[in-house]
Amino acid sequence: MTTTDMEKTAPDSRARMATLFRYAALILLLVGLVLPFAAFIINSFAFRWFYPQLIPNEWSMDAWNSVLDDDLFNALQNSIVIALTVTITSLIIGLPAARALGLYQFRGKRVVEFLILAPTIVPGIAVAMGLNINFLRWNLAGEVLGVALVHLVPVMPYVVLTLSGVFANYNPEFEEQARTLGAGFFSTFRHVTLPAIFPGLVVAGLFAFLVSWGQYILTFLIGQGRVITMPVLLFTTIPGGRNPNIAAMSLVFIAPAVLILILTSRYLSGESNTVGGFGQL
Amino acid sequence: MSWERWRIPVMLAPTMAVIIFLFIGGLLYGLLQSLGWQPRIGNFDLSLDAYVNIMTSERYAGQFWSGLALTIWVSFASTFFSAVFAIIGALLIRSTALGKRISTFLFQLNLPIPHVVAAIGILFLFSQSGLLSRIGAETGVIGSPSDFPIVVRDRLGIGIILAYIWKEIPFIGVIVLAILQSLGEDYEDIAATLGANRWQRFRFVVLPLIMPGLLSASIIVFTFTFGSYEVPAILGVRSVRMLPVMSLDFFRNPDLNARTEGMAMSMIIAFFALIMVLIYMWISRRSVRES
Amino acid sequence: MTHVTLEQLVKVYAGSTKPAVNDFSLDIPSGKLIAFLGPSGCGKTTTLKMIAGLIRPSAGKITFDGDDILPIPTEKRGAVMVFQNYLLFPYMSVGDNVGFGLKMRGVDKRIIAQKVHEMLDLVKLPDIAKRRPAQLSGGQQQRVALARALITEPRVLLLDEPLSNLDAHLRDEMRELILTIQRKLKITTIFVTHDQEEAVLLADQVALIFDGVLQQYAEPAEFYQRPTSERAARFFGGVNFLPAKRDQNTVGTAVGTFRFTAPCIEQAPSGDVTLTIRPEQIRLAEAPEENTVIGRVRERIYVGTYTRYKITLGEHEIEAIRSADLPGSINEGDEINVTLPSDRIWVVPNAR
Repeated sequence: MTTTDMEKTAPDSRARMATLFRYAALILLLVGLVLPFAAFIINSFAFRWFYPQLIPNEWSMDAWNSVLDDDLFNALQNSIVIALTVTITSLIIGLPAARALGLYQFRGKRVVEFLILAPTIVPGIAVAMGLNINFLRWNLAGEVLGVALVHLVPVMPYVVLTLSGVFANYNPEFEEQARTLGAGFFSTFRHVTLPAIFPGLVVAGLFAFLVSWGQYILTFLIGQGRVITMPVLLFTTIPGGRNPNIAAMSLVFIAPAVLILILTSRYLSGESNTVGGFGQL
Repeated sequence: MSWERWRIPVMLAPTMAVIIFLFIGGLLYGLLQSLGWQPRIGNFDLSLDAYVNIMTSERYAGQFWSGLALTIWVSFASTFFSAVFAIIGALLIRSTALGKRISTFLFQLNLPIPHVVAAIGILFLFSQSGLLSRIGAETGVIGSPSDFPIVVRDRLGIGIILAYIWKEIPFIGVIVLAILQSLGEDYEDIAATLGANRWQRFRFVVLPLIMPGLLSASIIVFTFTFGSYEVPAILGVRSVRMLPVMSLDFFRNPDLNARTEGMAMSMIIAFFALIMVLIYMWISRRSVRES
Repeated sequence: MTHVTLEQLVKVYAGSTKPAVNDFSLDIPSGKLIAFLGPSGCGKTTTLKMIAGLIRPSAGKITFDGDDILPIPTEKRGAVMVFQNYLLFPYMSVGDNVGFGLKMRGVDKRIIAQKVHEMLDLVKLPDIAKRRPAQLSGGQQQRVALARALITEPRVLLLDEPLSNLDAHLRDEMRELILTIQRKLKITTIFVTHDQEEAVLLADQVALIFDGVLQQYAEPAEFYQRPTSERAARFFGGVNFLPAKRDQNTVGTAVGTFRFTAPCIEQAPSGDVTLTIRPEQIRLAEAPEENTVIGRVRERIYVGTYTRYKITLGEHEIEAIRSADLPGSINEGDEINVTLPSDRIWVVPNAR
């Protein structure tokens, strides 16, 4: 039985005032949070937006036309290739580790957890600077592969944390049951384990994608300015770029992120360690 | 038998390989370089010269200390105000009867937005010819763009703080909201029947209950703002730079000596962050023990 | 020591058309221990929370000692609630939990410490003030929750399912404790339960509630001897119901006509009614007298200290319980005398 504040006892008029005040405060806060999005959209369609016009008198698609060029499609392609590679790789290597952490107790577990957690808090700039010279020597610097590899550092903690949460609520006896019924290793995984962890796998994968998608500093330091992803392109456009172009490019850049939020908003309200995945963006 | 024994190490191996080679390896190699280790030019001697240089030399000390002060100020202010607004937001959303779903969605909307874009958004909103300035002009509060206070690319880092607050309110807020929802309102009801008024219920019941989650979220935000590059790079000024920006500038300096100083600076940031991880683990372990 | 009245209380939750509590009126004398009894979802906890001020009634009035208390917010009402799952604040020591109410009132620390000590003595848990709630057993937590409520010297004490989370042996202990403390402090106390046994064991008066409506408000024994409906009788373990027609002192059924001499007979309905009698009050295989009919034993279930019989009477079947000590054996298939004592049978309105 839930009760909202409206049902709480208090003198009528004061309660109504308080409720009104709360709604006003909430709306103000939400407007503040959403206003920048409005600024992006207006800017991207604005044409000769003279001060102090609140809304431009003239609209145009100029910005969109000039932004949607080969450079942008190249950057999009790089971003997608890298993010997908990182997502798939991180899920494959993170799954067994998550299972070990979620299901078993073992010596040194605390240390392992500490090490896996550490990249969420240690700034990427320190790691990437140290790797820079080594990647140069191994011919990984300036390569898509090198960038994808270094993206694994910020991605792994969230994949492993999200999935180990799934395994913490998972009963491995289902697998034993399947094995006694004659399922082999792979068919057990395919028909028992996978369906059970699938929602968690999707969430972890989306996080991995988003963390990689938003990564600027690692891409810049390891990509040597030769691997142009969306954030790198955006960064080079900002100095001297026209506002409408920057706005349009930003919107292209955040579109997948917003889409993913819409798809996952259902999952977000619960697990706080899932939400933690956004800390790196 | 032997499989049983090796099972867990084998399961952990791929992930740990990434962590050890790329993360720890990167940090260690950065540390060695910051100590002047340059095997390619035959320098194997380690020294703290770069660190001493940063902190005391005429060339670097001034900008380092002012940069450190700015970094601490920005991180602290960003974390504090995000946490305050996040708690307010979470409490407001919880007590909302109407439009709860849409409020929650809007509250989370900027969660997946990369910081680069957050910085640009603040630029669009708060620059002197930005949207807020126009709203001010439209409503007659200000006369011209120059009447609008300089809050982006300012020396106090206000624009940087605004971008971080905008970005981190939902991050902390969603964590707080999740805790509030899993607790329900029974504790507050009990406190009310025992005589606690609205403020006392917040101070003595809600706040202590959300504190562990709030603290760990705040530490993540604090260390992130301490070591992140994008927002200060876009919204900061050249004269006083936050440490990550300064560190990258030194690192990219054609003068290879400055490169060592850049590494040293990033190590200082990393060292600070590691201390934060330890505090984070200590807090979360303590809160697990208590619940 | 507060006289509580509920007057035509109604609660309709937002988004629901059916009232959770409907036209609920009750007079609770000062210093009494009252049970709200009913199945889960019957509105008893809602009513409790309305008294505490945690839920605002849609209509109606609540008074303490004649004063309307609806405008008074929860924290100033002095109606303290103890929740079913204790809900001790996990981040505070036991002592701080107990002292919470006084701290909220700005009472001096030394006085709080002393009061906490007294309260923990009262609930027979001395020397645990420094511990954390998580270190206590369920029964101990329940007592601490009680101490935390009592320290504020509430005008009304509200207990939500006080015994239901406890093991059988802890229940007895806790029941004793609640009774002792309530008698000692004479606090008007209302508790909510779904367990009729709990209600009977603890309460001075029981308010039986079905679907948000008060069914019967009486002393516990009344529910066994003079239930006001078939549903109330069933809730208290009644199993025997025969369609009947009452005319003054006789009740006619398909199996025979019975004399009806129960006390307070004027409270019983007339006309088309349902006859009911508790299984332990039926006498079996004794010399025939008034109200004796012949029945056939269909099933015999041995339950240790007593035996339960299912007996066919014409088209109907009744259940009777007989102490295992009584002489003579009754077997399945036997035709025996079944006596329904005239002062033990009761009638309720026909259930529709």
